[in-house]
Amino acid sequence: MTVGNGSVPAGYFGSLLDIDLSACRHARHPLPEALLRDYVGGCGLGARLLYDRAPARVDPLAPDAPLIFTFSPLVGTPLTTSAKFAVVAKSPLTGFVNDAMCSSHFAIAGKLTGHDAISLRGACDSPTVVVIDGGGARLEPAGELWGLSAAATESSLRESLGHRYRISAIGPAGERLVRYATLSHDGRHAGRGGLGAVLGAKLVKAVAVAPSQKVASAEPERVLALARELRERSFGPATAKYRELGTLGNLLAFNAISTLPTRNFQEAQFEGAPQLAAEEIAGLRERTRSSCASCTIGCEHIYATDDGSELRVEYENVFALGPLCGVADADAVLEASRRCDEYGIDTISAGGTIAFAMECVERGLLAAPWLRFGDGAALLRAVEEIGERRGLGDLLAEGSKRVAEELGGGSDSFAPHVKGLELPGYEPRTLQSMALGLAVNPRGADHNRSGAYEADMSGEHDRLEGGPPHVAAAIATENRAALVDSLILCKFLRGVFSEPVAEWAELLAAVSGWDVTPAELEQTARRIVLTKRLFNQREGWVADDDWLPDRLLAEPVKLASGRSGALPPERLRAMIDGYYEGRGLDAWGTPTPETLAAHGLSTP
Amino acid sequence: MAAAAVLLVGGRSTRMGHSKAELTWHGQSFADRIARVLLRATGGPLVVVAAPGQPLPPLPPAAQVVTDEREGRGPLEGIAAGLRALPGDAVAYVSSTDVPLLHPALVRHVITAVEADVDIAVCETESRFHPLAGAYRATVLPAVESLLEDDRLRPRELFGRVQTRVLDAEVLLADPSVSRLDPSLSSLMNLNDPADYERAHSLELPELPVETFGTLRENGRGSTSVRAATLGALARTVGITLDEHVVAALNGDQITNDGAAPLVAGDEIAFFSADGGG
Repeated sequence: MTVGNGSVPAGYFGSLLDIDLSACRHARHPLPEALLRDYVGGCGLGARLLYDRAPARVDPLAPDAPLIFTFSPLVGTPLTTSAKFAVVAKSPLTGFVNDAMCSSHFAIAGKLTGHDAISLRGACDSPTVVVIDGGGARLEPAGELWGLSAAATESSLRESLGHRYRISAIGPAGERLVRYATLSHDGRHAGRGGLGAVLGAKLVKAVAVAPSQKVASAEPERVLALARELRERSFGPATAKYRELGTLGNLLAFNAISTLPTRNFQEAQFEGAPQLAAEEIAGLRERTRSSCASCTIGCEHIYATDDGSELRVEYENVFALGPLCGVADADAVLEASRRCDEYGIDTISAGGTIAFAMECVERGLLAAPWLRFGDGAALLRAVEEIGERRGLGDLLAEGSKRVAEELGGGSDSFAPHVKGLELPGYEPRTLQSMALGLAVNPRGADHNRSGAYEADMSGEHDRLEGGPPHVAAAIATENRAALVDSLILCKFLRGVFSEPVAEWAELLAAVSGWDVTPAELEQTARRIVLTKRLFNQREGWVADDDWLPDRLLAEPVKLASGRSGALPPERLRAMIDGYYEGRGLDAWGTPTPETLAAHGLSTP
Repeated sequence: MAAAAVLLVGGRSTRMGHSKAELTWHGQSFADRIARVLLRATGGPLVVVAAPGQPLPPLPPAAQVVTDEREGRGPLEGIAAGLRALPGDAVAYVSSTDVPLLHPALVRHVITAVEADVDIAVCETESRFHPLAGAYRATVLPAVESLLEDDRLRPRELFGRVQTRVLDAEVLLADPSVSRLDPSLSSLMNLNDPADYERAHSLELPELPVETFGTLRENGRGSTSVRAATLGALARTVGITLDEHVVAALNGDQITNDGAAPLVAGDEIAFFSADGGG
């Protein structure tokens, strides 16, 4: 048990488990308290460890490229939604930093192996399962698990190793190095950026963890009281949408306000939206609700597909495989989503790449006449071919950026990605804070590390006229995401906090014993964002990478009111310049020496 | 061209017997309602011109209040005060406060009528100018001030001195938006006495379609229609509380949780969860 003794603060183990897969060795490395305090945990700690441990310009699929699981000080406390973990690596899709998050028992068991982070580097000679428990770490042959879905792998391993073990696994897409393959636990995915391919390249099928340690908070009674209070608030109106309908409750509302990307971002409203909306289909298809470990929200809505199997339904998978591909057939969309889960593929990148390919077919750039907008059967075939890297799928498994490079013909202008990561379901032309957030985020077009749509949808400003208020909103929401993803708490709780940073400082202080203030956490958030930018800069990022696809800047979308959602390039440029200034970056987007010094950072 | 608005609230209201700015239209002061309609129509700066010391009802935060330099000298004095407060490239719709049926579509049409070779576009019905239903380039300010200096207080004189485009009913109704949303040109119906006020109140408010999404739907019903003058009144009618968790989109466009937002004919309202995350 660790309660802030010596240099290890409460809530932490002060330890990184470093596993060298090539050498079949592992070692424990201390994590200094200053590092933990500067980066907290989760995505923040992961970004720093990746910066320190990845060789510069490493190929993300090379043995030397590390993949790091990071936990957080709140994991293991009774604080609702705290059972989450981050997985950090250089993305094979973007070539930049990638930090994806996942939830539930793996977070608790992983942390209670006695480590705040687990790093995998090197590569195995044959398919392998990494097992971490009280006896340390060992490598076991994956055997017949290779080729199975993540869910089947997890189930099989828990049978063979015992139910104390919690598993993160990849599906067949990760084995086949699909560049947007996921890493899964209990049906949830660290979904974006291709972490499954990074593990697949190391021939690691799964990581199994079992708890062997305990960790305590600095002020357990205070933490308990805060947890009770937070739990009560988590039942309130701020989380009602997630609890009662799940995130699919976004779809119809987004359609009404022209923020539902449709047919590869050619439109912002989809005539088939009602057929896919939670309000319409939940009553027919929803089987049950579920939640992560230690969560009182219960946002997961489990639907039945047409063959009777079950599926977690989220807005993003329905948006990407439905409206974005022009498909209104709910059976096809849910089945495509289920197959993505089975292969272990990020639904957003899959849908984005398929929709892009559909438009390329329309324009005569791609000879695949079967792949048409609106065709549910074609959607299913495309998902299968991607998951198996077969036929056209071998190209589509590379993601829309590389497909555009391969096809040419000006297709890069409508390839729906930023830095190689496919755009999520928030139309940038009608959500212009979000447009900026998507353009500048180090991970690429990402709605989790930049939640600027919050501000656009609050009515605080005109969402169609990006300017200084939108810049401020993009920075503020990016900072909050950096903190909540490092502490870690679920973003679906965000509406329950009236003074989020102050309340998070109070939580962290009660767990760690640090005299942490809101001002310190604000500084921490900025440091985390800067560290990711420094990583990207080292890996070859240039200012032009902070930009949106040309289509979004050249083709306005029409709103029901008659107004246009237009984002001229000069407006985006002005917002990016404002963002750079607000972040203490120079005109080319790199941190100034003063900014680095103010955040205790330096470049090599 | 930068669209803007000037709202004159200072008149004597002799016949009405009560400050028109403070009269209410279905629970909202005339001044607040017209200010918000103008903001909605132009999206630009709004100058409210009051008499010195005049008590005013609450106004939207974006309104900049100025006062007439000299009282009792009619609309030109107020127009001058309003234009002085605006940037030189502004084209401002100038309105009185006694037009509760003012529609943004008409405001937009009038502003758009100030083309490159036009200084003022002014509405006219039954051969009568409506100087407080017109759009004025800020550059006409010297001409206005010159008239004021000479004590020539009739707006008609101004129209003779600068390039003025007259918008009669035929022209206004040729705009499909105006003919659809304000076919009777009620925007120009100003209320001068208690009888006018009573008559206006006896008119039925427009019936507006309302959609609710997500958890706000009750018993699966997402569509209805409601008569209401403000978003807050409409929300109450359908049993929704506007707060940090619930917002509305007007016509699929602007998102707000401001209950004072004025509603007009043709509006479509959608209520949904403010938390768009997912």
